[in-house]
Amino acid sequence: MKEVLLKTKNLSKSFSNGGMLQHVLRNIDLELYRGDFTVIMGASGAGKSTLLYALSGMDTPTLGTITFGDETLSERSSDGLAVFRRRHCGFVFQQVYLIDGMSVMDNVLAAGLLVNRDRQALVKRAKELFLKVDIPEETWGKFPSQLSGGEAQRVGIVRALINSPDILFADEPTGALNSRTGLDVLDTLTTFHEQGQSVVMVTHDMRSARRGNRILYLKDGVVLGECDLGPYVSGDEGRHRKLKNFLGEMGW
Amino acid sequence: MLIARANFRRARGQTTAIALLVLLAALMLNLWLMLSMDYKQNFDRYHHKLNGEHVTLALNDSREEVREFISELLKKDERVEEYCLDDSFFMVGSFAYHKGEVNTELIILDKETALNRPVGTIEIVEDGGGESGVYLPMLYGSDDSLSAGETIELTVGNQIKTYKVCGFLNSVMAGSHNCAMSALVLTEDQYKELEGEGGLLKSTLVSVRLHDKRESQEFEADLKETVSARYPEIRAQSNSYELVSSSRYISQMICSGIVSAMAFLVTMIALVVIASNVINYIQENMKNLGALKAVGYESRQIIGALLFQFSGITLAAALPGIGFSYCLFPAVNGMMISQTGIPYAVHFLPVPFLVTISSIVGSVSVTVWLSARRIRKIEPITALREGILTHNFRKNRIPLERTRFPLNGALALKTTFSGVKQNVTVCITMLVLSLVLVFSGLMVENMIADMTPFIHMIVGETADSCINVRVEAEEEFLRRMKADERVEKVYLFNTMDALHVGGIGLMASVTDDFSDINNQDMCVEGRYPKYDNEVAIAVKYARERGLDIGDEITMAAEGKEVKYLICGYSQISNNLGRDCMFTRKGYERMGTLQNASYYINLADEVEVETFQEETGEWLGEDMNAAINILDVVEGAGRVYVSLMTVIVIAILILSGAVILFVLYLLVRSMLARKKRDYGILKALGFTTGQIILQTALSFMPAVVLSAAVGLAVSTQVINPLTALFLQGIGIVKCTFRVPLGFTVVSGVCLCLLAFGIACLLSLKIRKIVPKELLNGE
Repeated sequence: MKEVLLKTKNLSKSFSNGGMLQHVLRNIDLELYRGDFTVIMGASGAGKSTLLYALSGMDTPTLGTITFGDETLSERSSDGLAVFRRRHCGFVFQQVYLIDGMSVMDNVLAAGLLVNRDRQALVKRAKELFLKVDIPEETWGKFPSQLSGGEAQRVGIVRALINSPDILFADEPTGALNSRTGLDVLDTLTTFHEQGQSVVMVTHDMRSARRGNRILYLKDGVVLGECDLGPYVSGDEGRHRKLKNFLGEMGW
Repeated sequence: MLIARANFRRARGQTTAIALLVLLAALMLNLWLMLSMDYKQNFDRYHHKLNGEHVTLALNDSREEVREFISELLKKDERVEEYCLDDSFFMVGSFAYHKGEVNTELIILDKETALNRPVGTIEIVEDGGGESGVYLPMLYGSDDSLSAGETIELTVGNQIKTYKVCGFLNSVMAGSHNCAMSALVLTEDQYKELEGEGGLLKSTLVSVRLHDKRESQEFEADLKETVSARYPEIRAQSNSYELVSSSRYISQMICSGIVSAMAFLVTMIALVVIASNVINYIQENMKNLGALKAVGYESRQIIGALLFQFSGITLAAALPGIGFSYCLFPAVNGMMISQTGIPYAVHFLPVPFLVTISSIVGSVSVTVWLSARRIRKIEPITALREGILTHNFRKNRIPLERTRFPLNGALALKTTFSGVKQNVTVCITMLVLSLVLVFSGLMVENMIADMTPFIHMIVGETADSCINVRVEAEEEFLRRMKADERVEKVYLFNTMDALHVGGIGLMASVTDDFSDINNQDMCVEGRYPKYDNEVAIAVKYARERGLDIGDEITMAAEGKEVKYLICGYSQISNNLGRDCMFTRKGYERMGTLQNASYYINLADEVEVETFQEETGEWLGEDMNAAINILDVVEGAGRVYVSLMTVIVIAILILSGAVILFVLYLLVRSMLARKKRDYGILKALGFTTGQIILQTALSFMPAVVLSAAVGLAVSTQVINPLTALFLQGIGIVKCTFRVPLGFTVVSGVCLCLLAFGIACLLSLKIRKIVPKELLNGE
């Protein structure tokens, strides 16, 4: 029996657009499990990123509830959600979003020191993570504008993982990268998942989606279907076909 | 035009704050120009209107022989254009005013004579319609201390007269206690009654108009000396155009000096803020600028749009600022009229208007042009990449890996180190405000809370009581005073006339031993006279004439010339820096004391009035006058205290407003610049409170450091600066106490105020959710 990390009930999100109410998410009931690499797929405008931001407490739902353990996230204040994010979530964004004025190490430590006051232990962990994602020591003191896209994204992953989050949220993490660099980033995410890290990733790229063990397909704000791919095995054509068939059924 | 309009729409809040700063600067600038270019000229307008005299000489003698001598003298003098000699009463007198007492040389004239004098005509500015009574100089009615219909008790010599106040008058040369003499006009019946009583000596008032008013001081000295030499027994009091025109406008000069400094400082802050705003605009809109350049806009067109935008804002704000200065001017005039005593009608002044507009618009345009010049160097492709090529990879300040600062403090410090322009703007603002605070503290400590230091500087020597006795009665007076347990100290302190031969007439302070006097700060360099061949001379006068300590100068009194050595420089502003000091023996080498003024310090519990009454009873005719010095000083000083209180309140409010505007602009600019960073921090789990704290804290190093440096430097320079303001009234050295407690507390309050304002202004972060911040919406 898998442990439920996040649970939504009747999750809805609407935006007012030019006086018209636009329903982006509609009554979504969903459970996310510990240890899963959940991939949210769908066409543009399906509500993938909106769902990710709602699940991660970055945005608040219009209706419905989101529960983390015994706690209802949707009842928390914005500061309460911030505390939730720092303790339980890590984020990897498409545009990386490192802070320009801070060095690579400081970008990571700024997130880490929010939760962990033990500076020495934190620095040690940051260094270990940097080495794991192939960011060499000479890069740690650099500024984001001095990094390549792939390097920046890997720094972003280190920052997301510095507090050992319960869930790592990734929003199109390879969207702004070339295919070689994107593959490196996916390998990094896969490695961490294999070590037990729960990941929720939004993507519209099938190559990225293949890394997940559970695929959710979103259409017009509702979860249209889901597919259990099983553990990722490099070069497993069977998984690829299964995913392709699933997406075909969903109208991809 | 389109670019300028778009910029304005994009940053309405910042535009409004800049407009308010410009409005304040224009208000102060125009107020200062009105005060300095027209307000004082009002004296000349009235001098011309009333055919005012350039020299007034009052003599307590009305003999025909004396008058003929003076008439002959004036007829022969080619400098004289016109003159008249009138009957009057001239004596020291006093009356209650403003919870104190006015004690001055009084010139009492008959109404008919006063209104019809060919020279120095007196005009009635308020006539309560009373048929019998007295008209007082209008400054005594300007603050509602006295009003028409009231009765006043006038003490002249040993007599107390009760008069009904019929109204108020305007006399340019004898219209306030700053003129060395005050004119009172009696109705015909009252004047005749005074004549009939015979208790007072009939006197002569000599009023002289000169061809060249610049010669008034020299002429006054010559005339007085010639008359004194011929008739040494006659008591004479004189004033000159130069003395009166300056002394009646002391408050105008102080107020004008402060307003000019404030105008300059507010303008400076506005320009720094505008420069910072333009530079931020360029950084924040690098992409847009690149796009504009890419589609063919030239740098000069973009700079032109910025010039148009800021000069438009400046013009739009300066006009109401000038308007507000006209609204404020009646209140400023109301404050000062109680010191100048001359009516002033507020009217439109085109020159100050044009100077204000052109200087503000001009300085803003130059600032914008200088700040926007860098646009010329921006290549479109570089700008489209948001200036990536211009990135400066600075040193990583406060590395989180090693710092001992708490996280929020460390992140705030990182922002501080990355914001040079922000820090410069904050530093300039705080340095200016520190100076303003120290100046306010100085005024509160030395003028409002305890007037003594101010009084010591303005008046010179003070004591509880001054009793003027006949020289023949001195010995008995001193014997009884020394035996009186109520008397702590009694010493001679006479004020006499002395002429610097080749120079002008000076007011001489004469005492037996200067170590006895209460105010030991009157000698600002060298030492007080100790021997009979020594003189201490006014520092301002000495510098004007190139007189050094150790020089020998010739002084004269009663026609006798004697050489003295300058042993020190004195400073008393009461005579606008035209004073000198002798020992009694020193003065008596050339002149004689006709009567002796003794200053008396009384024990704490002794009632001054009672003491003076009792002393008067046993001295009888030997006492010429008794003055309750503290009452007199308080009466005159309250005018300055009111003025200073208003100024302190105004500059504190202004300081608060300036810091609010500046921080508003900086915080707004920071929020716009760091919106993305705040979004990232929020996404990572920083709370709104933490980000607000970081934002506010990032200003604090510059705030605290510049406040500390500003306050420390200001405490050192404030006395020389104040002396600079007051040099017009003969002050070249100020030794005011700088209140350290007030300075420290106000510095802490200033920093807390800045922190509070920065926190409040940063509250806007609260309304934005991280997702929007990340999108930069």
